[in-house]
Amino acid sequence: MINEKISSVLKSVEKPGRYCGGEYGAIIKDKAAIKARFAFAFPDTYEIGMSNLGMRILYGVLNEQPDIWCERVFCPWVDMQERMREHDIPLWAHESGDPVREFDILGFTLGYEMCYTNVLSMLKMSRIPLLAADRTEEDPIVIGGGACAYNPEPMADFFDCFSIGEGEDNLVEFTRLYVKMKEEGRYSRAAFLHEAAATIKGIYVPSLYEVTYHEDGTISAITPKCDDIPARVEKCIMADMDKAYFPEKPIIPYIEAVHDRIMLEVYRGCIRGCRFCQAGMIYRPVREKSAEVLNRQARCIYDNSGYEEISLMSLSISDYTELEPLTRSLLQWTDRNMVSLSLPSLRVDSFSRELMERIASVRTSSLTFAPEAGTQRLRDVINKNVTEEDLLHAANVAFEGGKTNVKLYFMNGLPTETAEDIAGIADMAKNVVHAYYQSPHRQKGRSPQVTISVACFVPKPFTPFQWEAQDTMEMLSEKQEYLREQITDRKVRYTHHDARVSRIEAVLARGSRKLCRALALAAEEGFGFDAWDEFFDYDRWLSVFERAGVDPAFFANRQMGLDEVLPWDVIDCGVSKEFFKRERARAYEGATTPNCREKCSGCGANKLGGVRTCCPQGAK
Amino acid sequence: MMKDNEKKFTLPMLESPRTLRVKFRKVGNLQYISHLDLQRTFSRVLVRAGLPLWYTKGFNPHIKMVFGMPLPVGAESECELLDIRIEREMSCDEVKARLAAELTEELGVLEVYPAERKFSEIAFAAYDYTIKTAGDPAENAARIKACLAGEALHIIKKGKAGEREVNILPLIREITVTAEGELIRMHAILAAGEGNYLSPEALVSALRAQTGILSGNPTEEHYRILRRAAYLADGVTEFR
Repeated sequence: MINEKISSVLKSVEKPGRYCGGEYGAIIKDKAAIKARFAFAFPDTYEIGMSNLGMRILYGVLNEQPDIWCERVFCPWVDMQERMREHDIPLWAHESGDPVREFDILGFTLGYEMCYTNVLSMLKMSRIPLLAADRTEEDPIVIGGGACAYNPEPMADFFDCFSIGEGEDNLVEFTRLYVKMKEEGRYSRAAFLHEAAATIKGIYVPSLYEVTYHEDGTISAITPKCDDIPARVEKCIMADMDKAYFPEKPIIPYIEAVHDRIMLEVYRGCIRGCRFCQAGMIYRPVREKSAEVLNRQARCIYDNSGYEEISLMSLSISDYTELEPLTRSLLQWTDRNMVSLSLPSLRVDSFSRELMERIASVRTSSLTFAPEAGTQRLRDVINKNVTEEDLLHAANVAFEGGKTNVKLYFMNGLPTETAEDIAGIADMAKNVVHAYYQSPHRQKGRSPQVTISVACFVPKPFTPFQWEAQDTMEMLSEKQEYLREQITDRKVRYTHHDARVSRIEAVLARGSRKLCRALALAAEEGFGFDAWDEFFDYDRWLSVFERAGVDPAFFANRQMGLDEVLPWDVIDCGVSKEFFKRERARAYEGATTPNCREKCSGCGANKLGGVRTCCPQGAK
Repeated sequence: MMKDNEKKFTLPMLESPRTLRVKFRKVGNLQYISHLDLQRTFSRVLVRAGLPLWYTKGFNPHIKMVFGMPLPVGAESECELLDIRIEREMSCDEVKARLAAELTEELGVLEVYPAERKFSEIAFAAYDYTIKTAGDPAENAARIKACLAGEALHIIKKGKAGEREVNILPLIREITVTAEGELIRMHAILAAGEGNYLSPEALVSALRAQTGILSGNPTEEHYRILRRAAYLADGVTEFR
């Protein structure tokens, strides 16, 4: 329950429902029975945070422990931040309204690089020292996790530790160790962090590793400072997804979340191996849930939520081996309860009429596909194994089904990209428009709308393209302009990402600890909400980099050496560096790699185990 | 725990859909939830309560919900009304019990009964104001009273035709103002009919503009509005 002071300022802020709490499904516990209080922070607004499945899972899993109370924390919007400064209100946790600083552990989920400045501003609002080294025994232990924790180095100075990989077991173990050491009277910050690093899988404590550099700024070595902590921190996974915790009684936000529907996680990992895609690599090995368990979970969440839509979540839903039985068993009860299904990650090569008829998107007039590149050559380079034929087939199915709008995702700046590849994007869009007019089943009298949305390639750690240089801003802008000139059809709408944001993202994604100084400066100057166009300021970023002695080009636009020690080499995501090198070489040969189900390409992730996976086992 | 949300399909069909009226409270933190969000919330509450809801028969079937009076964000209420429609037999008691299980303390069901009167018959609503001001409560109460005893109390209304001044005194049927210790309490009966509605918040704005109360630091000066009841045109008979 928020206190009176917070409540009193809610009449003067936008969307006060973001802050008031008290949602159905929120977990309230008796503080007297609690041994550890965990503040789970999402470094963006309430509406975005409440759409995050990872946060919901970990919230639930921690609260399964009777003596641990996990609460949520979100980043207040700028108007609320102003009120907080005016009225001396520190950042609070959503359930109890208690100041975050009073908690035992503060966890941040790091989903995207542009949220880093919000993490820092939230620490400031909590009145917790920014630098881990400055924290006292009174401050919470600050832990980070999520996709960006795979290269935690740019944030290393601000976190006491990171949880690498899937946190369900790992965070509970971590918090239990905290309770145990407190109970046994042998807790101190340093002792706890050391023991956690030494005994819990997936816990990385940056202060326990020494990073040394060559004169040119590249890393010479990352070395553990003690013998009993691992040289490389291997990520955690949930081996058996059927047995993994899943929140069957979700919190139902009062105000509209970005994803306000049942999010059913179908499987983790991806069999595809697109060479630019970090998610497709770091979540390996593929582990499916069974259709039976999914159907039961979906029914349970429906009964406990009243949502009218079920979204089947995965990286590529058509690759789920039990998709047919799953949709069949769901439809047995969803139809008569007026619940619709949506499949947000469809591949063009699997889009059939039958599938379309089963899903909710039929009700909308638009479908989205991601060919990623404009020519077959470049699609082979990135291992996106779809053809223009697949796309046109999928578009035809969509048009037959009464759709008029198709949205296509592409990327500019991929390795080896030429003018021809860029022109290919415009051609593909044009061909889709053409296909519409050729379709005998099209909606008579309505014209099609093909939207192409073009992102800028950002080289990401733990991908075959992790060493590649990002195109310079000038090159990206030129390419965006060139593509605009190629689009002559008025039925084609063209949007592209801001190359300046993509560049900062690249710097933060591949950065080393040297970036900590720049981020500290950014925090000092009050950066925040950098993922929001209205607050992102490229020149200010350049200015903090300059003052911190960081050359952004060194991290974003430099071809890194294949033998170079990379900042994230201290993390082991399961997939081997040798595999990434092989895949990189194949990319430059224009050779594709079959998906995991066709043929194992020996990425190494099977060493992590896993149930209902397609990996060959026993290779440990 | 498995719910019996499939039970609804086994109940006998009604000859025609029945409209039930749900009286509920919306207090505490729930005062910050907007009308639109409340609608979305209830559409889910009704579904997970497993009620035999009637769906519209169009291209995009949806449940039918009609709310009584709008309640501004920042005001609490003990008398919110919502009409729902069911198509199979279920007693009001069971509907109430099922709703109670899906609601929270701050958004709680009070009563469920067959709807008889139309919402358009609502003419007035009673409100309790609890005001904490920075200055002397007795002095401020006197200033409020003086304001209300004047010839007119204006607010600026923004409409399609631009801004216009409206005298709200004719929309106040009854009002008492008393200073009680640290607080000022007001009981007011305000017009709440369609086309003749005074927002309880507008009264605060008018008093703020005229007397300067509640224009300081919100952590020191604050107020609470609670809607207690709705009345028919006679101003006495409670609307149900």
